[in-house]
Amino acid sequence: MSPRRDDPDGALMVRVEARDADALAELYDRHAARLLGLARRILGEGGEAEEVLQEVFLFAWRAAASFDPTRGSVLTWLLIATRSRAIDRVRSRSSSSRPEARRLDDLSLEPAAPVDVEAASAERQWEAVCRSAVGELPGDQRKVLELAYFEGLTQQEIAERTATPLGTVKTRARLGLMKLRERLRPYLGSGSRVS
Amino acid sequence: MSHNERHEELAALLALGASLGADGAELERHLAEGCERCEEILAEGRAAATALAAGVPAVPPPAQVRAKILSSIAPSRVPARPPVSVAAWRVLAAAAALLLVAVVLDDARLRRDREDLRSRSADLAGRLQTAETALAERTLRARVLESDDVRMMLLGGSGPQPEARGRVFWSPSAKRGVLVATSLAALPPDRQYELWVFQKGKPVSAGVFDVDASGRALFESTAFPEPEAQNFAVTVEPRGGVPAPTGPVVLVGSPT
Repeated sequence: MSPRRDDPDGALMVRVEARDADALAELYDRHAARLLGLARRILGEGGEAEEVLQEVFLFAWRAAASFDPTRGSVLTWLLIATRSRAIDRVRSRSSSSRPEARRLDDLSLEPAAPVDVEAASAERQWEAVCRSAVGELPGDQRKVLELAYFEGLTQQEIAERTATPLGTVKTRARLGLMKLRERLRPYLGSGSRVS
Repeated sequence: MSHNERHEELAALLALGASLGADGAELERHLAEGCERCEEILAEGRAAATALAAGVPAVPPPAQVRAKILSSIAPSRVPARPPVSVAAWRVLAAAAALLLVAVVLDDARLRRDREDLRSRSADLAGRLQTAETALAERTLRARVLESDDVRMMLLGGSGPQPEARGRVFWSPSAKRGVLVATSLAALPPDRQYELWVFQKGKPVSAGVFDVDASGRALFESTAFPEPEAQNFAVTVEPRGGVPAPTGPVVLVGSPT
């Protein structure tokens, strides 16, 4: 069963594309908190995360037609948009001083918790699968993934930060991402590969 | 270049959003060759990477963010209905003002996008030109170098242009020569460089050429005067060239 089909987000996107502002408001109410959480995680406290959130929803309004349901869920689309905007800002300010920059080491993600998958809604289920997929990764692979995803480091910087040879960083990135893909494949929308 | 594990690693890093630096060009070339596997890693990997976001606690946004977003898309909500009263006129005027703001904001954004696109396309045009020059150079050299009797002579900077460097490849049987030169100065519009072939101690013109903005020249002489060239020189001459050298020598070879 694909959660996408039951997901009200798809219907909302159709309405957003038809310039229905109420639909955008509903989409916002459903996802803004999660997106802001991600933006804050990357950008830290301060107004920038809120600005990113605004940009993302204006982008969703403007570019609703570019959403392709066969490539993943609406939430994934919004998360990717949020992440890329937040990282752009991190990179543009990384040349200047950034005293409030947080190190990943200081705030590790919560470990995976067992979840009653059957009882959960499609979104909760997605979230649970994600958490456990990330939690099951070997620590060193997870670290590489997190440094790239949340801090936007280059492969070279990841190697330096983790005191690991560049080749190992690349291998860990590939293996870690491959594991996530395998676990999330039923949710990723590559139709023919859904098991 | 056929697909290998290294490409998968780069595609995975890119999907995670890590910048690849110099390796980026390699992956780009590989994707341009149409690697479906890497395309799939990129698309699925980008979505799979969002799993990392699932562990991040949600943060309820302040109410004014929602209001700002909805007000900035508000003009589209105004129904297109004919005005019926003064009150309606006021509403319309307010809507028009909002619309104007939206249009101005939109315009600024579009302008930024356009500038961004323009700079990217200028960058691409520059890279294309570089690539085309390199290709033309190789083609020309290949044509000469394919000859069995190809010969080469290094030319060094001389007189006013000590930094200039050049190489002449020529084939006595093909009666062709190619000059590749770097670090030549730009000339006034009424001047050109002229290549001379020395035979029996006397210079014979092999044609005139210009340099590009970066001081490079690639010149193929199809009227290569003499198979038994002993030396080469480049001088600055009036545009169109002269039968015998008159200007300063800027490049000259050292026959061995």
